[in-house]
Amino acid sequence: MSNLSLVRLTAGGLLAFQLAAPAQAKPIAFANGTTIMAEYGAGTMAEAQAFYAPYYWLSLGGGVLHLDSDSIDRSRDIAYLRANYLVHRWNLDDAQANVFAWGGLGTARGNDFSGSKLDREVGFQADYETRRIYASLMSDLHESSAYSHRIDTLQLGFAPYAHDYEDLAAWFVLQGRNYTGQLHRGIEWAALIRLFKGGAWVEAGVTDGGKPQVMAMFNF
Amino acid sequence: MKKFVLLLILIASPALLSATTIEMDVSGLVCAFCAQGIEKTLRGFPATSDVVVSLEKRLVAVATKEGQDIADDELKRALTDAGYTVKAIRREDETIADVRARLKAKP
Repeated sequence: MSNLSLVRLTAGGLLAFQLAAPAQAKPIAFANGTTIMAEYGAGTMAEAQAFYAPYYWLSLGGGVLHLDSDSIDRSRDIAYLRANYLVHRWNLDDAQANVFAWGGLGTARGNDFSGSKLDREVGFQADYETRRIYASLMSDLHESSAYSHRIDTLQLGFAPYAHDYEDLAAWFVLQGRNYTGQLHRGIEWAALIRLFKGGAWVEAGVTDGGKPQVMAMFNF
Repeated sequence: MKKFVLLLILIASPALLSATTIEMDVSGLVCAFCAQGIEKTLRGFPATSDVVVSLEKRLVAVATKEGQDIADDELKRALTDAGYTVKAIRREDETIADVRARLKAKP
């Protein structure tokens, strides 16, 4: 394997964790709403985000991300600014479907390259949701002069009961994730439990590699 | 003059004191985490005294302060700006507590 391939493989593997739980939630919560999120993936990443949505179709914000490779001695820190845009929403009687797109810029520092690099990000998410089923497909591309990779994520969820506005909502979610550029052999699967009530959202699960994922998010 | 004022108060008071709740049928109302934006928006109206959201009935109900109202256009714009589609708006002669009790008494 060439050094360049190794760098790309490592960068992609590290960054793959950036899109764990928060991107599967809707990138925009509601108009005039603020979203804060914290996530921890054992041995791989820690991240904090804050977004404000002036409109239901736009949110602006940023975050900081620390990544550690679980296989080799690599770490990375990224600080970024990002805009999320609701391309279209379908409000159906018993369902809602959305298409989101986003783009952002950031700076990345790591121990596998010197100095800081400009990180460019683009992506989209399409989702469909009723009170009992949930499906989403997401693709996210990160590029810099030191790395380039795309991560595609499919989520399928079902709720054991139909929650109402003031109830605790519970979801079981199966996630499949594919990394381009030979970043991961086959598809990485994860089983997640998602709970939310009011403006608080908690999600926890484990990948088929036995790695736990935990995320908390708050809207207000 | 006093009798005239008293008469005006008596005529006006039933309209002022009768309980009216504004109910809206809303499409796309499936997620409590997202629908909280609706409640936040509607509670921002000075005339609002209480808000009830039912995902099951796809219903948003607003109680207004005594003698106050919110125009249909304003309500529709508020929910549209929150990202939802309003199918119907109506005013019911019941309190918001009655609406809440009716929604909890699932058939």
